[in-house]
Amino acid sequence: MKSAIEINQLKRVFKVSIGVMRRSFKEVVAIDDISFEVKEGELFGLLGPNGAGKTTTIKVLATLLIPTSGSAAIQGYDVVKQAQEVRKIIGFIFGGERGLYWRLSGIDNLRYFGTLYNVHPDVMKTRIPYLLDLVGLAGRGNERVGGYSRGMKQRLHVARTLLHDPEILFLDEPTIGLDPVGAREFRQVIRDLQAENKTILLTTHYMFEADALCQRIAVINHGRIVALDTPEGLKRHVRDLSVIEVEMYGMGQELIDRIRQEPFVDAVAVENRDQRQVLLVQSLRGAEAVPDLMAALEGVKVGRVIVREPTLEDAYVRLVGGEV
Amino acid sequence: MITQVRNSWRTIFMVAKMTLRQNVMDLFIIFTVLVQPMLIAILALAMLRDKGQEYILFVVVGSGMTGIWSSLLFISGNSINVERWSGTLESLVGMPTSLSVIVFGKNLANVGQSLLSMVVAYTLAVVIFDYDLTFNQPILFIISLLLTIIAFISFGLVIAPVFVMNPSVQRWQNAMEFPIYILCGFLFPIAMLPQWTTPISYLLTPYWAARALHGTSAGNAPLSQTLFAWGMMVFFSVIYFSIAARLFKFMLVKARTDATLDME
Repeated sequence: MKSAIEINQLKRVFKVSIGVMRRSFKEVVAIDDISFEVKEGELFGLLGPNGAGKTTTIKVLATLLIPTSGSAAIQGYDVVKQAQEVRKIIGFIFGGERGLYWRLSGIDNLRYFGTLYNVHPDVMKTRIPYLLDLVGLAGRGNERVGGYSRGMKQRLHVARTLLHDPEILFLDEPTIGLDPVGAREFRQVIRDLQAENKTILLTTHYMFEADALCQRIAVINHGRIVALDTPEGLKRHVRDLSVIEVEMYGMGQELIDRIRQEPFVDAVAVENRDQRQVLLVQSLRGAEAVPDLMAALEGVKVGRVIVREPTLEDAYVRLVGGEV
Repeated sequence: MITQVRNSWRTIFMVAKMTLRQNVMDLFIIFTVLVQPMLIAILALAMLRDKGQEYILFVVVGSGMTGIWSSLLFISGNSINVERWSGTLESLVGMPTSLSVIVFGKNLANVGQSLLSMVVAYTLAVVIFDYDLTFNQPILFIISLLLTIIAFISFGLVIAPVFVMNPSVQRWQNAMEFPIYILCGFLFPIAMLPQWTTPISYLLTPYWAARALHGTSAGNAPLSQTLFAWGMMVFFSVIYFSIAARLFKFMLVKARTDATLDME
């Protein structure tokens, strides 16, 4: 199978200014020497914590950023030297509400962007109603976008991206802000697109989404790829581990750092679930580590304790060192 | 090639149409295009009501030109920055259509709508101040107006990327409004200014536009003078378009290098 996306030793450094009166600059490495390829028709996931370099990678591929070094090609076209060719065959969505004309209707937005994608007006006559129907905005297209909910705007972004029927799609956290039903419908749209043999590069924070959709996943942290495998392959990273979940109240960073230093602990993460905080401790010792963990938590108010099998999310936590 | 040209024009007209749709809901634009030129026209007409008919026509055309220039400076000048502030610039840059073609369409809408300033000034003079105004060389005036639109679009294509790349220059935007009114002879002839300012006026395409429009509306300019003004507008437009092409290329490479396409 041919490569649709090829990334070779890609690096991107940002200069960040510090100070107001005496301004100085420091360099921040957003992506650091990453290489991978995505096959034609593949649904490839890019996972990582905030600031890991996911969006920067997608922006380089979408020709919106010039890399500091290295190269990237889309269907053989270099993203820097042949940016115009690349733009004809890609579509991209960056999560959030921005990027649309709020004073125009949904249909006018699509007509506008369709024209900029050189879609013929006759094609748009059938394509726009089809896409509005596909993203669940049929009957709402004549309303001004400013009055749309966040989810509706997100869905309009999807329709915008598909206007010119691109072969390659970059979806940067596309379900962020969607309600559960909207997100589920959107995942179905992604599956349908993949069934049409589109190549899709997806970033998401939701592990179950990556697990359910992606054929391969690259985990990126501090700008570097720390693992690249199928979801099942990534889970094998934590096959020997057990996860101890401890419900807690008022957990401080100092305590988390202390637990991380314990010899029986492999990785630590914290999740907020409703009003509670849940400490997730990965350990090779499984249930046997519970008494040691309780001893380490002495004096802290602790709720329910569960020991369970690891999931893809746990593999991810381990790979990024608990930075979720 | 033909398809490419046809696509570009289709894009330009679509961008202009959608820009106008958005502009009718923007109070700042309504003020710049209608209210401010109307205030200038009322003041000028009231001050100069004892002057002859010919001078009143000069004021009507001149007030209209103040609206065109203000619109160009504030609306077209900010056309790329506005896209960046609203988060649409990345989408536009990531599309196969060139950003300069998109900004051309936006400028066409902005300059086109600002012609309303002239209509407002004319209506005020006729309805409120009761003048009987006729344009003496209507065909030459319309040709001058069309060339003015192209000249102003080309000027707008230069200032928009300059404002994006140099925020310090953009801070002087307000200070750039009135000197152009004066240096380009919108409301009174530049002969009234000190002589050393004349070469500066000659370098500004709005001056040649004002000269052509004033001359053809009053009908007192010989054809050779009008033709010379047209020639200068075309000459400067070609220069501005070629400068703009380079500026857009440079600006986009810089923005993609500095990661400034988005404000987030």
